[in-house]
Order: sequence, then structure tokens, then C-alpha cells
Amino acid sequence: MNVEELLRDSLCELAAEQRPAGPGYADRVLAARRRRRNRRLASVVAATAAVVAVAVAVPLLDPGKETVRPAGVLDKGGVHAHPDQSPPRDVIAAGQAVLAAYYRAEVEPQTDKRAVSQRTYWLLDPKTGKYEKDSRWSFVAVAPGLKTAAVLERSLPAQRIGLLDLTTGEVERWIPVERGVGGLAFSYDGSRLVATTYDENPDLRIKQKLIDLNEKETWMWGTEFGESSRSGFYDLDVASGEGHWSPVAPDRSIGSRQDFEFSRAGDRVYSQVIGAGDGLQQFYRLDGAKAAAPANEKGLRSDVPARLSPNGSLAALGLTKEVNGKPGKSYSSIRDPRTGKEITKVRGAHLLAWADDRRLIAWERVTGLNETYRPQLVLVTIGSDKVVPLSGVREEPAKGVDWDTWEPVFARR
Amino acid sequence: MDAEAQDSFREFVENRSSALLKTAVLLTGGDRHAAEDLLQNALIKAAGHWYRIDEPEAYVRQILYRQQVSRWRLKWRRRELTVAEPPEPGANPDAASAAELRLLMRGALARLTARQRTVLVLRYFEDLPEADVARILGCSVGTVRSTTHRSLARLRTLAPELTALGPQAADARPQPSRDFSPVEVRP
Repeated sequence: MNVEELLRDSLCELAAEQRPAGPGYADRVLAARRRRRNRRLASVVAATAAVVAVAVAVPLLDPGKETVRPAGVLDKGGVHAHPDQSPPRDVIAAGQAVLAAYYRAEVEPQTDKRAVSQRTYWLLDPKTGKYEKDSRWSFVAVAPGLKTAAVLERSLPAQRIGLLDLTTGEVERWIPVERGVGGLAFSYDGSRLVATTYDENPDLRIKQKLIDLNEKETWMWGTEFGESSRSGFYDLDVASGEGHWSPVAPDRSIGSRQDFEFSRAGDRVYSQVIGAGDGLQQFYRLDGAKAAAPANEKGLRSDVPARLSPNGSLAALGLTKEVNGKPGKSYSSIRDPRTGKEITKVRGAHLLAWADDRRLIAWERVTGLNETYRPQLVLVTIGSDKVVPLSGVREEPAKGVDWDTWEPVFARR
Repeated sequence: MDAEAQDSFREFVENRSSALLKTAVLLTGGDRHAAEDLLQNALIKAAGHWYRIDEPEAYVRQILYRQQVSRWRLKWRRRELTVAEPPEPGANPDAASAAELRLLMRGALARLTARQRTVLVLRYFEDLPEADVARILGCSVGTVRSTTHRSLARLRTLAPELTALGPQAADARPQPSRDFSPVEVRP
């Protein structure tokens, strides 16, 4: 480690320790502004007798001459929509949620019977606001703040984790790992990384024969359910790269890739399990032992990525109602995370990320219920039936094309 | 500011004040109260132009950086922060763990000038290229480069344990304890 790296780590650590400004901060600022304006107005009134004095005081009514706006910096408060782009070329964002990357997977045969579903990522360049293809990585997790991504090289499982500076496109630091890693996820505050370890490439595909109702045989690349090589996870401190590995007992009710993610508080990890219902999840302590779900995450679904709202008071759940029409309308459930009771329904078929405590980014259909499901990214608001298109319509790849459709990766600003 | 603008301002502050406050704390070298003052001033200025601001966060950040540098220019005589525990120059570098080194680094950062710290925060926390830092602070790229170099050297002077780190150790040169060079600010 050199001085620059230590400096970077120290700044990140100091920043991460800061508690938020607290509720009502905006109102306190506005009140301070009103007081300041009143004082200045009073000074102007007092000086009306002297023209010169007025001439001096008036400019004070327009505080702040810093009108220079850096070019190419993202608008961090507003909505960036490109409803004509699928996959997107220019930044898509709403509130604190940014489409930080997307990927497409392609099946690459290795032998007659084995193949690997290889991902290729397009990463948001924060300077240009455009998505740029970066073929170096097989897995990318973007940290909150969109400055750093954790990356794995093409060959999985990987023996080192890269911390990629998204501004320069260069790896700032490598974290070597003894056990091969196949998946990564940041904690909610971005200070830690959970790295799921596998003995084999978790994206292996094997050739499988399907026999349809007409007894017609087709061959396709599929995963072998119940054959996951997942061995455990590393819990790593991003600043120092230090951490420990915890073994997790093999489980036959998981898919070949079943990555761990942190709970909101970061004191547990969870992953999806396949069982009686969709979106089931199993939590683990950080030493790898099975654990109960935290009280506020008990009712969540592992297949709905939005999970808890920023302030933790609402839980994003799954599709609950569909209304036919042109296009059809989907509604997902918003629940109290502690009681599991539905509070309301919000537009959207699949809730992906919270833009703020009232708005979410979701996939929503552009077709009727009797047509093929074709979605686009939209911004939905609790209490409103309005949807704001953010991306173009995602099309399924044509038959015979090995590329999957694009999958979004969201991060908080 | 009408009700609509106030709602939009509130929404922005609610969503972004935590991140902005983190930057402000870094700019003030860990002084939370000074950081809250700095951010409040910047937000008040932004509120005055809310209708005309296309990129509120970029705008507020720019005010934060420039305000901090200007403030230093006005108050340079009082700029050094008092820290409870000054760095211990005699400590054995081998014994210092990563956490201890980060603490030493914090102490040293708090003793830099506001301008030096602002340049380091922009370069190493915001990860901006030199050209962008120059544009934000209204100075030349050369000034950014030399300030960065001098600031890193000063960190090593303030916390000699840091000189044992990495390949840049050879750069460490004793620096004057205060940097009185003029600041180029064009608000």
C-alpha cells in the first residue's frame, strides 16, 4: 500500500462514518435562508436614504455567483430517461437509483456437452454518461456512489477480485483470494463485499435433451439443478481488502449460481433457495451457519431486487395484480416489512430499485396480457397510476441466437 | 421560491444531503460542525438559483469546493485545525497496523490547509482527473498537479510513518510547515 492508497482508504472510511443530516434538514436550510434574506432585506431598507448604499446591498440579494456547471457530470437529482434505447446507450437514472451497468450472457461451448454462459458487461462511464462495453470481466458489482466496481476476470472461479475505478477504467487494487470466487455483492453502505466461492464455474451449462408433447427431441444448454459447487463466502472489508472465509454446507435446493448478498444491516447474508414458492431466501450468519431472517427482511422475496425502501419503512414485493388493456397494467405489492401486511399496490411487474422512498424503477409490460410479455424500464410512484418510461422495450433474442437479452445492474448514487 | 420549487429542493436535500455532508466533512478535515455550516451555506446559495440549475448536485458540489477554498483564502491565519492527538513522529512504522495508519492519515489530513485538502479530496475521494479539478477550482492543471504533490509530501512530513509506505516513499521531502502560496480562485 502506498500513501495514495492509504489516503483514499482513509477518506472513504471517514466519509462512511458520517451519520446523515437527519430528518427535516431541508426545512432547516430553507428557514436559515429565509432568516438570511430577511436580514439582508432589512439592511437594504435601512439604506434606502443613500443611493450608494443600496447599490452595494442589492447584489447581496442574489447570493452565490458560482454559475459554472461542470460539463459531463450526471444530474444527480433528476430523471434520465431514454425510452428509445434498448439496450441503453445513455445513462438511465431516477432519484438515487442509477442503471450502473447491464450485461448480456452468451453460451460459449467448450466441448460437445459442456458450455459456459459468459457474461459481457457494459459499464456506465460517469464522465460521459454513456454505457461502454468492457469485455474484461465475467462479473461486476457496482458500489454505491458509482465510483468503484468489484470485478472478476473472465475465467471463473477467479483467484482475485479487482476494484475497478469506474472513472478511469483501471483496476486500482487487486484482492487475492485463496478460494475461487464466482459472485460479488456490496453491503448497503458499500464498505464490505460478500464474495461467493465456488469449486467450479457457476455458469456451466450442459447439453440437455428436451422431448416436447409431440415427442419431438430438441437439445438445449441448461443448468444442472442441485449440482451447485458453492462452498461458502468471503466477507471482505473493501478499504483494507481484509476479511475471512466462511464455509456454507452444500445445499441441494439451490441453482448452480446462487450468490450471497448482505442483509440491509450487513450482519447476515442470504441467498435464494428453490422450494415450494418463488423467491424464497435463506439467511446465514457471517460465520456461515444458517440463521433466521432479520425482523424487517422476513417477508421479502429474493427474486425482487428492490427489497427495502431507503428509509427501511417499506418492502417491495412481487407481482400481485394484472389488468388487461393496451397495454396491460401490472401491479406489485408494497408491504410493511415487519408485519408483511400489504400497504398498497404500485405499478410495475418487477420492482428493481428504489429511486427514493416513494418511487421505484421497475420492468413494466408494454403489451396486453394475451400477447408476449415485452417490458421496458419505467419509473413508478406509490399512490399514482402513472408510469414514466425510462428505457426502450426489451426484446427477447431471436430464435437460434445464443445471446440472452440484457439484464440491468442498479446502484445507488 | 414557490411551493413546487421548495418540494423539488426538499426532495433533492433528502436524497443527497448525506452524500454531500460526507464530502463536506472530508473538506473540513473531519470537523462535522464546520462541514454542516459549509453545506448549509452551499444549499442556501443553490436554493437562490433553484429554477435555473440543471444539475443540482454538480452545482452544490462546486459551491462546496470553491467556498472551502475561498474561505481558506480569507481566513488562512486560522486555518489549522486543533487535533486532540498530534501524530507521533517516533512510532515504529512496522508496528503500525492499517487501522492505525488510517488514523494517522486522518490526523495529518486535518492539519493540511483547506486548499491542499480540497485538492486531495477531489483527486482521491471524488477520483476526478486533474483537468476536472482545475476546472472546478478555477485554476490551472499545473497548479492542481503541484498542489497534489506538495500536499502528499506534507502528509508524509506530518506523519513520518507514512514515508515507509509504497514506492512513493522516496518522494518525501521536508516541506515548509505552512503553504502561503496564492490561491487562484475565480468564483
